[in-house]
Amino acid sequence: MAAINIDHYLLLSAVLFCIGVAGVLFRRNAIVIFMCIELMLNSVNLLLTSFSNQHNDPSGQIFVFFIMAVAAAEVAVGLAILVMIYRNAKSVDIDFFNKLKE
Amino acid sequence: MNTIVILSVTGIAAMMSDVFKLKKALFGLSLLGLLIALVFSVYDWGQYATYFNQMVLTDNYAVVFTTMLIGITFLWFLMSKDFFSSHSSASEHYALILFSLTGGVMMTNFSDLTILFLGLEILSIALYILAGSDKGNLFSNEASLKYFMIGSFATGFLLFGIALIYGATSSFNLQEISAYVQQHNGSLPMYFYAGILMILTGLTFKVSAVPFHFWAPDVYDGSPTLVTTYMLSVVKMAAFAALYRLFIYCFAPVYEFWIPVFAIMSAVTMLLGNITAVYQKSLKRMLAYSSIAHAGYMLMALASPGGTSRSALMFYLLAYAISTLGVFNVLYQVHKVTGREEIKSVKGLFRKNPFAAIMLTLCMLSMAGIPPVAGFFGKYYMFVSTLNGGLTWLVLIAVLSSLIGVYFYFKVIIAAFQEPELENTAYYRQPSDLTVLYICGILSLLLGILPQFVAGLL
Amino acid sequence: MVFLSIPADYIPIAIMFVVAIGFVVTTIFVTHLLGPKRKSEIKLDTFECGIESQSNARLPFSIKYFLIAILFVLFDVEVIFMYPWAVNFLKLGLTGFIEMLLFVSLLMVGFIYIIRKGALKWE
Repeated sequence: MAAINIDHYLLLSAVLFCIGVAGVLFRRNAIVIFMCIELMLNSVNLLLTSFSNQHNDPSGQIFVFFIMAVAAAEVAVGLAILVMIYRNAKSVDIDFFNKLKE
Repeated sequence: MNTIVILSVTGIAAMMSDVFKLKKALFGLSLLGLLIALVFSVYDWGQYATYFNQMVLTDNYAVVFTTMLIGITFLWFLMSKDFFSSHSSASEHYALILFSLTGGVMMTNFSDLTILFLGLEILSIALYILAGSDKGNLFSNEASLKYFMIGSFATGFLLFGIALIYGATSSFNLQEISAYVQQHNGSLPMYFYAGILMILTGLTFKVSAVPFHFWAPDVYDGSPTLVTTYMLSVVKMAAFAALYRLFIYCFAPVYEFWIPVFAIMSAVTMLLGNITAVYQKSLKRMLAYSSIAHAGYMLMALASPGGTSRSALMFYLLAYAISTLGVFNVLYQVHKVTGREEIKSVKGLFRKNPFAAIMLTLCMLSMAGIPPVAGFFGKYYMFVSTLNGGLTWLVLIAVLSSLIGVYFYFKVIIAAFQEPELENTAYYRQPSDLTVLYICGILSLLLGILPQFVAGLL
Repeated sequence: MVFLSIPADYIPIAIMFVVAIGFVVTTIFVTHLLGPKRKSEIKLDTFECGIESQSNARLPFSIKYFLIAILFVLFDVEVIFMYPWAVNFLKLGLTGFIEMLLFVSLLMVGFIYIIRKGALKWE
């Protein structure tokens, strides 16, 4: 059996990232889209950690901490926006939001 | 570094002012903080210093853009005085604007991809909230949600790109990456180039370049007018400063790879932006499309880097931001009185207030790029720099699309000089409302008469 | 150090999986076989702490839970920045300590803000 090296991690996080992108593009529920964005960020975290291990350099892992903290702030804001919208529109389906398209 | 510290302290003070019942002092306090930051920023001129373990690098490029960002924000504050003082959560608005300015300053001073990421996020997260600050309005809600989703989506791309670059070069530092790329040019792994493309995607989402522009008209149209002004001027400036800095400081050794991408993007962006703007009836939406077109002209600096492209980009951004502020000052006042944002709402401006109409004309001419105002020299410098870079076809397309632009900018000017429609004539009673328009008009004219003073800085 | 892990390195993880799944399967089957079975209406009813069940679980609940949860996440996540600092505590010395105090005091400013704004008031 072949050894598991950096290419496998690269492939895994690329696949996870693509799943996230596809989810953002094709799903209609705003909450699911948030989750897909989180998936994209977490695939980046995985990639950074494995590169950090490969280079034997901790700065990649510190970057992961920053991504986690920022992602938490982003989700807080995003959920607050959703709550605000739900109060006005009683829906979180993004097809509802094409008022500005005309 | 001092600038970043002062701006964040001012932001925190603005945030806490409501809690400690100092709301009266809020406006003065914010302006004072901005002024001090401006002084410290100018004071850094001529220095070349790194801070925070080489994560922040203050050089002349950073100083010029930082000063411009703070100056534009200062004008923005003057313009939005009455709006926020009447608002119940004024202190939060001020604080969010100051925080996002801090993020913008970090984006112009970064020397490490960590700081680029953090600056971009600080800039954006504050704006996601501000875009939805008109809580009861569904348009504002929609703009906020769209901006948030597209913003985080773009951040994902940027981060994946950063991770790939880190994997290829084992560093986040611009100088180290640049040195590594120089040394190993030709033997870099494929995913390094993929990383460049992903970073490019993430950042061009922020500057609303075609094909990543689809969110921009909706977001700019739906957000409260003052927030749109801020997005169009300060955010665009910060995003371009960061984009240019990253690609020139860091990826210059492999420029053959990314120049064609920017050249094509630039051509498509300016054509599409200008052509779509022709069909708009709403002044706000027209300006949103015109801002996409301007992003196309600014991308020319990245399509022909080196030479004078740096000062051309700087001058173009300054001229664009100033004229945007002026036009939006009129739009904001018109909207406040008539409740409408169409082009024909400015009719009758000349009859009531000739000086304001002339100043609006100057700002519009500056956007269209007609002498003797600042915008003309912005375009002139940009075209010369691109010609020196050897991209004649791009300049031809740019000239063509500018001609389209002249048409819809003149529609506004003509409307301002026409007879008023019945009920919409009362919107400029207090002269203080249009101060920023006057400042911007005069600045545009000054920059047009004496462009070499500013253009010679970089 | 080279980034290389061969499949043999994953044997402990495999053992853990086998043990975990085995435990679950064993307990389910063994209790199923050993226990006596008597079926009556009360026995088969939904059991909820001895109280009769009332309605569907998917009820809208107060927005205050959401606010508290979000604030908790925000403050909770900041703790990760203390791990690298704690690991290098001696090496960073006094400067590192002062910087961490600054960081925590900034968090405190945010905390004071949400308290004064009444975000944590329940009534």
